[in-house]
Amino acid sequence: MRYCVTHISNYHYAEAVSTSHHALRLTPRQLPHQTCRHASIAIMPLPAVMTGRTDYFGNHLTFVAIQDPHKHLVVHVTSEVEVSAVPAIDPARTPAWETVRDTVVAARDPDALRAFEFTFDSSHVRSSLSLAGYAAPCFSTGRPVLAAVLDLTARIHQDFIFDPRATTVATPLERVFEQRRGVCQDFAHLQIACLRSLGLPARYVSGYLQTVPPPNAPRLIGADVSHAWVSVFCPGVGWIDVDPTNNCLVTTNHITLAWGRDYANVSPIRGVIVGGGEHNLQVSVDVAPVG
Amino acid sequence: MSRPLSHYSMTAGSFDEMSASAGVVRPSWQKYSAGIDALGAVELARRWDGAHRIIRDHGVSYNIYGDPRGQDRFWELDPIPLLIAADEWRTIEAALIQRARLLSLVLSDLYGPQRLLHSGRLPGAMIFGNPMFLRPCHGVPVPDNVRLHLYAVDLGRSPDGQWWVMADHTQAPSGAGYALENRIVLSRSFPELYRDCQVQRLEPFFAKLRATFANLAPRTQANPRIVLLTPGPNHETYFEHSFLARYLGYPLVEGGDLTVRDCRVYLKTLEGLQPVDVILRRLDDELCDPLELRSDSFLGIAGLVETAQAGNVVVANALGSGLVEGPVFTPFLPQLARELLGESLRLPSVATWWCGQPDQLRYVEEHIDELVMKPAFQARRAETEFGHKLSAAQKAECIAKLREQPEQFVGQELVRLATAPVWTGDRLEVRPTTLRVYLAADGDSFVVMPGGLTRVALSGDTVDVAVEHGGGSKDTWVTAAEHEPALGLLQPARETIELQSAANDLPSRVADNLFWLGRYAERAEDRVRLVRTVLSRLMYETLPADSGEFAALMQILDSLQVIHSDFKSDSRGPVRALEQELFSFIYKQQRSGSLRETLNRLHRMAWLVRSRLSTDTWRILNELHQDVARSRPTRTDTGEALVLLNRVVTTLAAFSGMEMENMTRGHGWRFLDVGRRIERGTNLISVTRTMVAEYPNDPTGVLEALLDVADSSMTYRSRYFDKLQLSAVLDLLLKDRSNPRSILFQLASLSRHVDLLPRDPASPNPSREQVVIRESIARLEHADLLQICGDDQSGLTPNLEDLLLRLAADLRQLSDVLMHYYFSHAKRSQQIGDAR
Repeated sequence: MRYCVTHISNYHYAEAVSTSHHALRLTPRQLPHQTCRHASIAIMPLPAVMTGRTDYFGNHLTFVAIQDPHKHLVVHVTSEVEVSAVPAIDPARTPAWETVRDTVVAARDPDALRAFEFTFDSSHVRSSLSLAGYAAPCFSTGRPVLAAVLDLTARIHQDFIFDPRATTVATPLERVFEQRRGVCQDFAHLQIACLRSLGLPARYVSGYLQTVPPPNAPRLIGADVSHAWVSVFCPGVGWIDVDPTNNCLVTTNHITLAWGRDYANVSPIRGVIVGGGEHNLQVSVDVAPVG
Repeated sequence: MSRPLSHYSMTAGSFDEMSASAGVVRPSWQKYSAGIDALGAVELARRWDGAHRIIRDHGVSYNIYGDPRGQDRFWELDPIPLLIAADEWRTIEAALIQRARLLSLVLSDLYGPQRLLHSGRLPGAMIFGNPMFLRPCHGVPVPDNVRLHLYAVDLGRSPDGQWWVMADHTQAPSGAGYALENRIVLSRSFPELYRDCQVQRLEPFFAKLRATFANLAPRTQANPRIVLLTPGPNHETYFEHSFLARYLGYPLVEGGDLTVRDCRVYLKTLEGLQPVDVILRRLDDELCDPLELRSDSFLGIAGLVETAQAGNVVVANALGSGLVEGPVFTPFLPQLARELLGESLRLPSVATWWCGQPDQLRYVEEHIDELVMKPAFQARRAETEFGHKLSAAQKAECIAKLREQPEQFVGQELVRLATAPVWTGDRLEVRPTTLRVYLAADGDSFVVMPGGLTRVALSGDTVDVAVEHGGGSKDTWVTAAEHEPALGLLQPARETIELQSAANDLPSRVADNLFWLGRYAERAEDRVRLVRTVLSRLMYETLPADSGEFAALMQILDSLQVIHSDFKSDSRGPVRALEQELFSFIYKQQRSGSLRETLNRLHRMAWLVRSRLSTDTWRILNELHQDVARSRPTRTDTGEALVLLNRVVTTLAAFSGMEMENMTRGHGWRFLDVGRRIERGTNLISVTRTMVAEYPNDPTGVLEALLDVADSSMTYRSRYFDKLQLSAVLDLLLKDRSNPRSILFQLASLSRHVDLLPRDPASPNPSREQVVIRESIARLEHADLLQICGDDQSGLTPNLEDLLLRLAADLRQLSDVLMHYYFSHAKRSQQIGDAR
């Protein structure tokens, strides 16, 4: 599949912002199954500084500084991405989950060592005995890791209600777990915390999801969303992406922007402004299939 | 004569620094002990009083300013130093240099290629699970690949005399400035002992430190700008930040004084943005950049990490250097020393077991009674559990905690610390001590400060003391075989230095604070003069309650909030009641507008700009503050109150004298004086207006009081003898250029200041503030006072009132214009996120 992604963020400030600095992670990653053909970021007002580098996790990071007073900021990203299907993996043939856990602990090969990094707590994700307990029924002794992970994905999808009003960025995971409500970000954090509580390496992926309209209904422009899901490491196979919000393996509808230990590492737009007062933000995302 | 050291008895089972056994002084202490015994206990006590005075005068404190007890909590320094012989010191020195080189290499690797992880020399869990490992700082380029520039080690000594490393400090070690201050106080208080013991000097170390920081700047910079970044005046070691900034000659800045533009760091000064090359930080790693590090802290600078990543600024110590100060590294150091340096570790660390490794966890569980359990990663978070103090249930709870997150904890051996004698005022007592030693990077090696900060526990218990905040300190004397040459900080420059007419590094925030320092100093002086005038008239009963003068003074006291608006005369009669109200203004702690409140504000402002004030200036302001804080009269006595007010006036005069005679005429001084002039002018206008309104009721009384309050009686008498006339008084107070108390004098001074303020040199037009002040001067000069006052001298005529109101408005506008143009740094930063 080939997509043209348009992601527009409009910030309106009550008072003038004299300077602002932003860290953007809005350029799709190059991956074996994903090729970013073209990506451009346009900023209004014109930034004084706009530089790019690769961050610790290999994501493309764009650093932006605006030094003229402004009350309105637009970040307009367009990218063209080609996504191909990931080769199917038979869950039953993946190694036992305990083997995965024990392999990364003793890891020497670079991939497994890197994966080991994703078994530890991070700012939004704290492992706990109660989360390990929640996941335990899916992780019976010796069960192949992918089978167990997909079971957990289904379980979260079934037990939790998608409710944008239930949580904010600041809602702690314990609260999400208690009230069984949240959005894709919360579900991804929850599943990561469950996996890490069992000693399994899991990372947070930020990206886009193409929404498929109902049959015969027209595709609505700008109704697509920023999305988040989970990636699990499986020695010998690599990282496998699952989407607890939609209870599925990641498909060609998913476009990967960046990954990290949790949302804090990959938030698409992070900024510090001087002045500004109250602000509001409108975002529109459009993932249009091309060709 | 009583000999201080004669009754010292050591604790059994500990190493004592001074006594080898009861009554036997170690060789390294013999010269000292003979000297102090010769001095005698009485003289020691006398010297020690003097030393305390120095500490108070310098305002050496270790506290949080807002803490009500804080202001009296001065730095605790013991008169007896810790002595270490030169040969023993050489061993320590070599060992610490080795340790610093090792930690520096480990840091460079972990923030670079991470070979130590890939080769399995260090387990991944100790880095990946470590909150001190800051991923955004990975790969930041640093000069010569050195990330550790100032490093401190805490040492303890076990009963067998062996030194042990108890903790490492690799982020922003504190205490080097206190060590220097201790040395200043002790060498001044005991010059003969200091000289006879041939103590190695500390200054060369600071000169080296300065060179180290200068070398961090790009080589192309002739005069690199180096700043000392502080978390601010509420920080417990803020005294040290401002002390070191002054001593090293760097501007002391807060995060808000710096800004990132065009991927460089700039200091916001009065003269615009000035590039910064090196930041010596006293701010924790994660607080340094809200954009890429902890987003809820605004003590840092947005974009700092990016700027450092681009190689455009050097932060010392490098961002993320706190990683290697966690005790988790301790068990790995012997092996790392062999592999990275090819040497064995010269000085052992306190035995430490990291629970992140199963066999070590087991050891900790089995030996919990003998160990201290602490967080593995954060050196400074003191959630420490002493195994031997735990009940059976608590032990089980502790073990459960270790098992749940084993990599988060270490178990550490308890050290029975060495002791040293501490002077309690009349005798010596035994106290456990630790020693913090400082190292500065020097190329690819390090140099050690010969001495350090010896810290003393509060109690004599040698086992479970953590010598932490709240204990005392000692100077540390490393003796030298030879006298060292004196070496100051201002070294003759080997290359030609660029001459700078005035340092253009005054942060706008500091200019703002100096402006308010001037205003508060003047405000305090004006009020004290006013209250003194009223009180002395009440005392000599020259102020009848039914006079116009009394009414006028009441009005002024009321308008300046010296007396409260609901103040009423009571059964004691108006005079007694007013006296009581004025006592309450002078002495009361919690009273808005009181003398104490004004002096507190003044002191607070002085504290904020300490690094810009000379020691003498600070001493004067500090004395003033303590003088009033200490005065707690048991009875209300007008005479006593007048003595205090006179002292306050004299001290404030001493401050303004220092300001006139000792401060460089830079923009800092200029803003201080601008604040003073605006305040003085504003107060005089207000006093004049209020009093002249009462003039028709009591012409003589009002004019006498007005001249008195304006400190112009003598001038008037010398000019007009006893002929009191309103227009003549007004001429002296308003228009007399030669009277330093007159309005015109203030305006003329302001005009000169304003002309010299930094401005866009390209702009041909006069600045707003120039326009305001010139118009104001013209207004006053053109005013014909004889005509304005009217022939019948009827007091506050509409024309006079109009003139005074306009002049007051001019000063207000001038103040606003200056604040807007020069101090508009108050805008707050905030974090903005994106939608979910």
